[in-house]
Amino acid sequence: MGPKIPRAARLVAAVVAMGLAAACGGGSSAPAGTAASGDPAQPVTLTFWSWVPDIQKAVDAFNTAHPGIKVKLETITPGPDGGYAKMLAAVKAGNAPDVAQVGYDSLPSFLVNGALQDVTQYAKDDAAKFVDWQWQTGVFGDKVYAIPQASGPMGFYYRKDLFTKWGLEAPKTWDDFAAAAATIRKKDKSAYISTFAANQAPWMISLAQQAGQQWFRTEGDAWKVTIDNPDTRKMAAYWQKMLDDKLVKTEADMSNAWYKDLQTGSIVGWIGGSWGDAIIRGNAPGTSGKWAVAPMPQWAGAAQFTSASWGGGSASAILKGTKNPGPATDFAVWLNSAPESVNTLLSAGYGWPSVKDTSQITNLQKDDTVFPFYGGQNIWEVFKQADAAVATDWRWPPVSDALYSSLTDNAKAAVQGDGTLTDAFAKTQQAMVDQLKAKGLNVVTGG
Amino acid sequence: MVVLVAPFFVAFALFFLAPIGYAIYQSFFKLTSSGLGLTEPVLEFAGLGNYVTALSQEAFVASIGRVLVFSLIEVPTMVVCALGLALLLDSARARFQPFFRVSFFLPYGVPGVIASLLWGFLYVPQTSPLIDVLAAMGLPHDFLGPDTILLSIANISTWQFAGYNMLVLIAGLQAIPRELYEAARVDGASELRIAWHVKIPLVRAPLILITVFTLIGTLQLVVEPLILKPLTTAINSDYTPNLAAYNQAFGQADVHLASAEATLIAIMAFVISFGFLRLVNRKGNRAW
Repeated sequence: MGPKIPRAARLVAAVVAMGLAAACGGGSSAPAGTAASGDPAQPVTLTFWSWVPDIQKAVDAFNTAHPGIKVKLETITPGPDGGYAKMLAAVKAGNAPDVAQVGYDSLPSFLVNGALQDVTQYAKDDAAKFVDWQWQTGVFGDKVYAIPQASGPMGFYYRKDLFTKWGLEAPKTWDDFAAAAATIRKKDKSAYISTFAANQAPWMISLAQQAGQQWFRTEGDAWKVTIDNPDTRKMAAYWQKMLDDKLVKTEADMSNAWYKDLQTGSIVGWIGGSWGDAIIRGNAPGTSGKWAVAPMPQWAGAAQFTSASWGGGSASAILKGTKNPGPATDFAVWLNSAPESVNTLLSAGYGWPSVKDTSQITNLQKDDTVFPFYGGQNIWEVFKQADAAVATDWRWPPVSDALYSSLTDNAKAAVQGDGTLTDAFAKTQQAMVDQLKAKGLNVVTGG
Repeated sequence: MVVLVAPFFVAFALFFLAPIGYAIYQSFFKLTSSGLGLTEPVLEFAGLGNYVTALSQEAFVASIGRVLVFSLIEVPTMVVCALGLALLLDSARARFQPFFRVSFFLPYGVPGVIASLLWGFLYVPQTSPLIDVLAAMGLPHDFLGPDTILLSIANISTWQFAGYNMLVLIAGLQAIPRELYEAARVDGASELRIAWHVKIPLVRAPLILITVFTLIGTLQLVVEPLILKPLTTAINSDYTPNLAAYNQAFGQADVHLASAEATLIAIMAFVISFGFLRLVNRKGNRAW
């Protein structure tokens, strides 16, 4: 699927050459003897755990280009559904894979659990290849532990045909969004503009991320927790009103019910990550050509265009216990920066590339699998703008798994009428402070 | 003799005692970080700290209350269903008995996850033909709401296990000497009276057995809520004690707290099931 362009091929050749040069102590980015060279006769074998669809193609391309390294892909359950637990257990048992798929949100938890390998000496010169905020997600206290893969900048997917039929335009602000939601309810009593996905913590977090003040930051030797802040409360009150006015559905996103509603036009919009394209295409193929993507609606009075990234994004982390940290790092860097790999992953719906220079990523300009579904719109333009407008000072705490379950539990309760969404975020704040303290970490709170 | 039972004891120690012992051992420790938590954590002895943490979590205590309510609903339902089916099939006039016996037993062969998925499709409005019919008839049809979800779960477990429990009772019924029925009939007893005064008292032991099995099963409820969780806002990550332990171990990577919770669940199941046995055995006729 990945287009074979001569330029990309040359780049691959260059990477291989660099590896070979490293073995001779040549001017490579990695120290001698640690790089991807290996010995084609006795290749280094690496194990890689991931759940990204179609990533096998990128791994195959790597293996072809690097005779000295043989990467074996093992497909696992997505991290939040048990994949992370499996990784942490494997690290504990001493049989972890060399490289694994870990979300930006979970890297701090992995670090706290002692599951990440410091690869600073192999990767320190690769920083320039990646978008800075994404690179920083794998860096803790000047040490590199993971290579960024992709983010999930947010946009608004909507049924353009139905919006046009009802005389609506893509909402520019959240007020427009509420007005459009009301119009849709009037025009078609079975249709909703979207669902409020109380099951989806990263989604709710991205709404908060866009609203303004961030939730976690470090102050000296302590974590400062500010989930219950004015901006998040504003966002929570907005969605509470949407729920009270019954302008949104309350079913879980990415569930069978939700897919069915996408197919039948009962749900006509979704504020989702850039990889959400593959989800809609895959689950509502019958609606091809009827969709479009607009930027995430903005808060009134916002100084500049702001978006967010769903759950941050995803990285290739080098796990503790690997016997080959050098080749593992080289693989992770290649997987996430070599154009032929990035092109393949982009079409498979892995997210927004973490590489800084996207001029080689031809699929961003023209993608015959993706664009026709959106009536020919180049949806990547929208996400490119969104990715540049992600608040980059967002920090994930080392308890994001607890954050997710606490937030979904509290939001589900609010959706059922047990308290409000504003309460839900306040309760989550308290739960996170307790959780951090229970782990022995220093915590300060405040606005 | 020792040689003959050795394989059993080795397997018993390896696959039963060792994991339980390890879980209990793990429950006395905790991982502690310091400062920002960016350095490797230290494993510390926590004494009963994890047990205190578990029992002071409102959600965990609420989940225990929830499975107790669930037991109150599910145990009588199960016993009545299983006994009803067994008596119907045992009555001599039942035709196609082997066919029905197998049909009732079949759901037991369906793995719990699959059963929950199947019922999940029947509970979700967008995919359920059942809900369309109920709605058309004007009957209540919200299977996933906060007030109905426990009943929906009870329905799945009853569907799954009633047939199995029925087989246990049928085995008991078939062991009853036929002469007793003849004697009862000679005395003028109707089929209903035979069932009530002869059959049921004589399957007391298997009845108690299935009650205890169901009790333990309900206290350890986990698969159904885990599978239905994505479909409803009424199930949270601490919905049942087992689900809370699962969430601690696999969602939040805290095996120590999870081990403490698992140990508490085991103690609870032990106390309640043996308490029940003591209660029914008090009258001097030991069934177990």
